[in-house]
Amino acid sequence: MNSVEAINKRVKVNPLKSRFLVASAGFALLSASMAALAFGQTKPTDFAYNTWTTWAIKEFVEEAKKPDLVFLGSSLMLVPLDSTDADHLQRRIDGSAHHKSAYFEDRFAEKTGQKVSTYNFSLPGEMPSDAALITDFLLKGEKAPKVIVYGVGPRDFLDNLLQSPAATDPFQTLSRFGDWTKRVDLIVPQWQERLSYELGQAFYTYGSKSQLVFNANKVINALLDKVAPQPQLKQTAVELAGVRRLLLPDYHPFEINRQQCLFSPELANARPKFEDNVGEYRQRYKNLKLETFNGQMQFLSDILVTAKSRDIHVVLVAMPITDVNRNLLSDNIWKLYCDRLRTLAAANSESTTFFDMQASGGFKTEDFKDTLHLHSGGGAKLLDKIVQVMATDKPTMAALTSNNNIALERFRQTTRQEAMIEQKESPAL
Amino acid sequence: MLFNSLQYLVFLPVVFLLYWISPQRLRVPLLLVASYVFYCTWRPIYGLLIFGLTMATFLLVPFIHKAATAASGKHIFTPKVWLGIAVAVNLLCLAIFKYAYFAVGSVKQGLSMAGIDWKEPHLHIILPLGISFFVFEFIHYAVEVYRGKPLVKNFSALALFAAFFPTQIAGPIKRYQDFVPQLTEKLKFKWEYVDEGMQMILMGLAKKVLLADNLAMVVQAGFAHPENFSSVDLWLITYAFAFQIFFDFAGYTDVARGSALLFGYKVPINFNLPYMAANVADFWNRWHISLSTWLRDYLFIPLGGSRVSRPLVYRNLFITMALGGLWHGAAMHFLAWGAYQGIVLILHREYVRVLEAVGINKKLAASPTAAKLYHWFSIVATFHIVCIGWVLFRADDMKTAGAMILKLVQAPVDLLHFSASQLAILQIRDPIIFPALLLLLPGLMISQPIIAWLNDKKFYQSPPWAVQVSLMVALMCLLTIFSPDSSPRFIYFQF
Repeated sequence: MNSVEAINKRVKVNPLKSRFLVASAGFALLSASMAALAFGQTKPTDFAYNTWTTWAIKEFVEEAKKPDLVFLGSSLMLVPLDSTDADHLQRRIDGSAHHKSAYFEDRFAEKTGQKVSTYNFSLPGEMPSDAALITDFLLKGEKAPKVIVYGVGPRDFLDNLLQSPAATDPFQTLSRFGDWTKRVDLIVPQWQERLSYELGQAFYTYGSKSQLVFNANKVINALLDKVAPQPQLKQTAVELAGVRRLLLPDYHPFEINRQQCLFSPELANARPKFEDNVGEYRQRYKNLKLETFNGQMQFLSDILVTAKSRDIHVVLVAMPITDVNRNLLSDNIWKLYCDRLRTLAAANSESTTFFDMQASGGFKTEDFKDTLHLHSGGGAKLLDKIVQVMATDKPTMAALTSNNNIALERFRQTTRQEAMIEQKESPAL
Repeated sequence: MLFNSLQYLVFLPVVFLLYWISPQRLRVPLLLVASYVFYCTWRPIYGLLIFGLTMATFLLVPFIHKAATAASGKHIFTPKVWLGIAVAVNLLCLAIFKYAYFAVGSVKQGLSMAGIDWKEPHLHIILPLGISFFVFEFIHYAVEVYRGKPLVKNFSALALFAAFFPTQIAGPIKRYQDFVPQLTEKLKFKWEYVDEGMQMILMGLAKKVLLADNLAMVVQAGFAHPENFSSVDLWLITYAFAFQIFFDFAGYTDVARGSALLFGYKVPINFNLPYMAANVADFWNRWHISLSTWLRDYLFIPLGGSRVSRPLVYRNLFITMALGGLWHGAAMHFLAWGAYQGIVLILHREYVRVLEAVGINKKLAASPTAAKLYHWFSIVATFHIVCIGWVLFRADDMKTAGAMILKLVQAPVDLLHFSASQLAILQIRDPIIFPALLLLLPGLMISQPIIAWLNDKKFYQSPPWAVQVSLMVALMCLLTIFSPDSSPRFIYFQF
């Protein structure tokens, strides 16, 4: 490298010989070539590590049979569903492997005499933006269910600890399953994230870095297996994962492996102590960010519209929460939340059944394990009520008894048309 | 604002463009505004602190000059007193913001040992970024004026000297005689500024993002839970930290120097292959050079330096290094690290005396092969002595440092019946840096003599054009692919 003095002494300057300019052009060219060759592209289902989302997607994609009903929602839905099944089946439930509601299926069959298969796609921290991607990218065609039961709570729209919709684990995993750019303004609203996104669009090496790193790691791992093979271990993979979590608590914060999140059967008179998580929610609800609220409501609207276009009926459930948690929100905000849910459901009334579980007043603090999540007893109560609502709701029952052939045929037609357009647009070889 | 952030990716080109399209007379004010914007993006209120200290220094230092040039007895204070005031104002600021917690904690601990329960006052002080660096620059300025060097008469020049954004947060600690004259040079834009500057920036980011950040994961795990690792693992982790802190700080310095060069400014180097040092004194000539020369000029020499009796020289060495350790952070383990450096420097001087007395130097001079072998042995030994010091530096507290060092010294015994299967770093395959350490560390160690050899051959002064372009393309690719979503702060930002 040359010193400032050396540079200052030079006279001739030729921009075409600028190393940085030539290198930048070279980098852009290389990046474009890699993009053209789709260098190092992986399948969306090639996950670098496992999370709640990857487990749910894997099983959903691999299962040959499509479910009649899909549950969507955050931990508000996930916790009662899995803990109720632990009680109902009288065994420990592994949250990473159990993606159904056996309790609901049995209760629904008892009530209506009709068998339905369910798939639980509720995930911890799932926002409406995530649920919208699940609906748009996965619940379609051969895999489109007849009914979606979507449980929402105020946190889903008012979480101020969430940096942006792009920051969630479900988004990071699901974003590779389809084109989400039509909602880019809502998904990456902050300028730094937006800049990062635009850089990713401009430079293949940046935009596809997770896939390129995934491939690079495979190569390095293969080399390491030869040069420095992993010794025979006494610990199980779960134990090792536990050690890793202890050593690096911030590394892959969303990673979940088998047997790491278990729901055990509980006795009604010996439940764990009520957890006071008011402090956490005080932080989450602090200062309403209208931008976040409106953005997430838009995604909820997208879900309802997408479902309608695919002849999927939606049962939108305003989930119950404790009064303690409800009182963290001002009356105005609470009203805004309730009103917007009602308005959205009403705008899609042909394909949406709205049930306000909070307003029904059927839940007491004793039904909850903390200020927000129902325990297995409360979960059973919730599912009983949902069964009751669905069994008496004609559009829902009609959707469940239909064979979805119309929707499937429509999907096939669209796919064929898209393929024909692509063929026409492709240059002749 | 971090160098390895998207904010900086926008900030730097904007300032660069504005700078070169501005007329000469606006360039210093522009850089000054940009530097304050850079500082205030972190915590705007602390912009007042750096401004206040600049103003205080600007107003106080001329009194040193006036007192020195005034006829005897005509001035209210002697130059020494004015120097004392200027230095005290700066040190007081540093003491309040950096050492108040440490002082209160130490007093409380001392009193509790004496059986006195003292309810300490609740302090809520956030350490201002870069305070240790700009305070040292101000003290250097005051001392140099005291020693007869010229005053800086332009406030903007002094303000930019301290606040210059490339060096503002973690140095290198500049000398005003080198920096301030550059402000008045009439520079014309040259592509070479961009070429050299961007090459340095890319190299610096690569050191930080590709090497230091990855090594940080192993280091964090090892230092947080040494009980989970064998003594051999801990040596590897200590080596990893040696390279982590080097690449982190050298990477930062490269970005700082490269950023400065984009504006045609030269700032001093901070590193010169420190792990090729053949003894600890040599190490300090190669490691954090701008700090070690500062400590030499403004602490060691004023204490008497080497021109006093041997015990006093050793006292001076010890005090200088111990205070140098404390400069890094207000904690006992930093003080211990500094004291350790002082002790090993003293031992090194004694060792040299013994060698000279025995006449080994003459014998080595007579045999080039033996001299070479001894030289390489010295490099390896120095590296390990430095590594032991890094344990004190990196550990969260003295207890952890002690536990780690105890385990490290067991390594020779453990190695007698050791097999690779006992290595904990091989058991963890993700993150991949754990098993990769066995490949990476030898590579990094071998790279040091290779770089030294290339330096000797003056390769870096005129590498082929195509090599430089290819290197930049490769770095751009690697950085865009392997840059983590969130990179940790530079280690030296906390000092």
